[in-house]
Amino acid sequence: MNEIIRVENLTKDYKNNRGVFDLNFSVKSGEVFGFVGTNGSGKTTTIRHIMGFSKPDKGSCYVKGLNSWQNASEIKKYVEYIPGEIAFPDLPTGTMFLKNQAELLGLKDMAYANELIKKLQLDTSANLKRMSKGMKQKTAIVAGLMADKEILILDEPTTGLDPLMRNVFLEIIENEKKKGKTILMSSQMFDELETTCDRVALIFNGRIIDIAVIDNIKNSKFINYKIEFKSEEDYKHFKKLKYDIIRDQEKYNQVTIKIEKDKVQKLFKALTKYDVKFISEIKNSLEKYFKEKLKKGEDNNV
Amino acid sequence: MFSKALFKQSAKANFTKWLFVTIPTCVMLAIVIIVLGNLGINDIRDSLKNVFVQADQESYLKENSVDSYELYLTTLTNYNDVYSFGAFLNILTNNYDEKVTEYEATNGVAPNNEAKQEIIAQVAQDFSDYASFVGKTPEELKALVSQILNFYIKDTSVKGQNLLDAYFLDQVYLGAYNNEIAKEDVTQQEAQDKAEQAKVIAQDAINKYKEDSSESGYVYNRDNYLIIARNYVNTFMYDTIYDMQIEHSKNEQDAKEYAVSVKVISNSAISTYQLWLNEYESDDPDNAITTEQIAQARTYACQSISDQIPEKVAVALEELGNMDIYGLIIGSIFYRIAGLLLPMVFVIMTANGLLAGQVDSGSMAYVLSTPIKRRTVTVTQMVYLLFALFSMFALLTCVSVLAVWIVGGNSFAINYGEILLFNLGAFLTMFAIAGYCFMCSAIFNRTKYSLSIGGGLTIFSLVCTILGLFGSAVVPSAMRISAMNVFNYISLITLFDTVSILNGSLSFLWQFGILFAVGVITFIIGVFRFDKKDLPL
Repeated sequence: MNEIIRVENLTKDYKNNRGVFDLNFSVKSGEVFGFVGTNGSGKTTTIRHIMGFSKPDKGSCYVKGLNSWQNASEIKKYVEYIPGEIAFPDLPTGTMFLKNQAELLGLKDMAYANELIKKLQLDTSANLKRMSKGMKQKTAIVAGLMADKEILILDEPTTGLDPLMRNVFLEIIENEKKKGKTILMSSQMFDELETTCDRVALIFNGRIIDIAVIDNIKNSKFINYKIEFKSEEDYKHFKKLKYDIIRDQEKYNQVTIKIEKDKVQKLFKALTKYDVKFISEIKNSLEKYFKEKLKKGEDNNV
Repeated sequence: MFSKALFKQSAKANFTKWLFVTIPTCVMLAIVIIVLGNLGINDIRDSLKNVFVQADQESYLKENSVDSYELYLTTLTNYNDVYSFGAFLNILTNNYDEKVTEYEATNGVAPNNEAKQEIIAQVAQDFSDYASFVGKTPEELKALVSQILNFYIKDTSVKGQNLLDAYFLDQVYLGAYNNEIAKEDVTQQEAQDKAEQAKVIAQDAINKYKEDSSESGYVYNRDNYLIIARNYVNTFMYDTIYDMQIEHSKNEQDAKEYAVSVKVISNSAISTYQLWLNEYESDDPDNAITTEQIAQARTYACQSISDQIPEKVAVALEELGNMDIYGLIIGSIFYRIAGLLLPMVFVIMTANGLLAGQVDSGSMAYVLSTPIKRRTVTVTQMVYLLFALFSMFALLTCVSVLAVWIVGGNSFAINYGEILLFNLGAFLTMFAIAGYCFMCSAIFNRTKYSLSIGGGLTIFSLVCTILGLFGSAVVPSAMRISAMNVFNYISLITLFDTVSILNGSLSFLWQFGILFAVGVITFIIGVFRFDKKDLPL
């Protein structure tokens, strides 16, 4: 699989420790690549450089092998973009905006646009300025996706959408993925990235902390269980067994252990000897994964 | 380099703004030209001007009266001096005639000019012995005799007292002519007219003198002559003006009234003159009146309204009279201030909205996420801005030309050529301002900077022009504060020189060139700068 988007040593220093520093990653053809991080961590800055809106201090971005800054207009033939900021040109209605945008894109066939409008249940005839945040976001999504190009770059595309519409949108992205498109998407929501992305990069203070492969997280060899005992005696006895305890809460007679999947049988057998109040599986999630990573990073720093 | 779709988007986004700026400006301009054109705003100015024209006329009239009075008196005095000489003249001419006959008898031919001069010299020599009889020195008499004989040989039929009168009048004529031709700006014809007039006055004075002396025997009475001279001049003025008025088809009553008013002016001038002379005489009775004193008396006598009010006020009023109110209101106030304000607001807002506004809000992302180059974006937006501005001023030009046509075309205080130049100047000013605002819009990513730096300086220029107006030459000196002129040096609009356009001087042309260059350069800087900057989209 060839690399559609490549970011090499990208550095843009806005001073005061803001900006992005020495980013390196690439997005393969047909891949959905997520970008997660807190506000101001550098997601949008990275996307701006990939889109060719900003000139890197160091390093460069490539889209289909073309330098983003030098060939900014060339790469737009392949890239479509949903900006993070919802602001439209000064035009009266959504319909007029979409029509105008199609003209700018040189797009004649509005079939796909209409399909998107239908799916998102968008009333385009509304006044652009008076639209609700959700409606504006829907309009932005239609404007961004209607040209049906091979690369999608989406900057927090689900903000403002209600949960129902968010699902519709994720469905649309799923469809785009099936068409074989390459997608780069940023978000603050771990769960939506988890469901759509193949890989997710965690960016923190302008640096990539880790790039997680979703499949690996979902198909982890380990399972975590939280167990609470009725008596302190049992709790103490259990602790003597050689399980990998990752969290210990003495007050409640509670432990959280990490165990390989094939040893679960053994665990349950052992537990029959104790008076267990409850046992629950703690799911492996992207959020958890990154939290651990961040914690580790902070610990290392200290 | 140009995107039709983007142009359409900009046109749609800014059309309302364009309309709300263009229509009121056109209406304002039409009102200014038509309403002012019909109100005859120059009436006040004209009446003010009339005051000064009348003052000039009055002062001319007074001078003329005093001149005539002086001439009349001088004639009487001088004629009194030579009157007794008249009796000699028959002897003088007879003597000459005899000598000529003698010459003819001796030489057989009439004497030529040279021979005549010899005879004249001989006669003059003979008569110098009688010098004591006429109260002159021999040399004086010799000169006088030769002059009179020279005059006599031109027409030998005039003899005796008549010869003296003719000679005397000729002297008056020559004196007046030489005096007049020595002045600046006097043509030969004018001098001849004046001399002819002097001759008429002198003739009358001579007649009066003879009349007087035949009635009461020969008595020289100066006081008497002062009154005679004044009456004569008053009557002369009255008659002349009355005839002129009748000639200009005024009715008798009007002509009479006007002539009397002239007579009053003339009388007052003469009285003032003579009173001052008397005053000088009684101050110092031993010495004769000096030339300076005479000149001073003349000045007092010939003062008009404009001489009587303080000089600064007179200058201010005269300037007010000469002020071109149409040029001021239409050129300096409408085209340079009032008419520019709304287009400026349009340009400031639109230039900002075409680039910086869209970058700041983020909507530029939709344009730049299509395969359109940044250069195409800037060029298209620039073309739109210029198109909007051009169409605005094209309409404004049509309205102004139409309005001028309504109020009388080229007979209006401001003609078609000037109004077209005003429009061109205002357009070029706006072109430079548009370029500058566009440059700011291209340089800054934030509306607040683009607006405050682009719009701020533009409005600053306008305000400076308003303040500078009170220091510029278009405001009469009474209202002018020259220190305020410094504002004109720090305003771009100063390069739109409406005064030069109205003057017909061509200095506005190179200033137009500068405005054009400013526009072109700032537009180019804007286009290139936008290519290279980071966009927060």
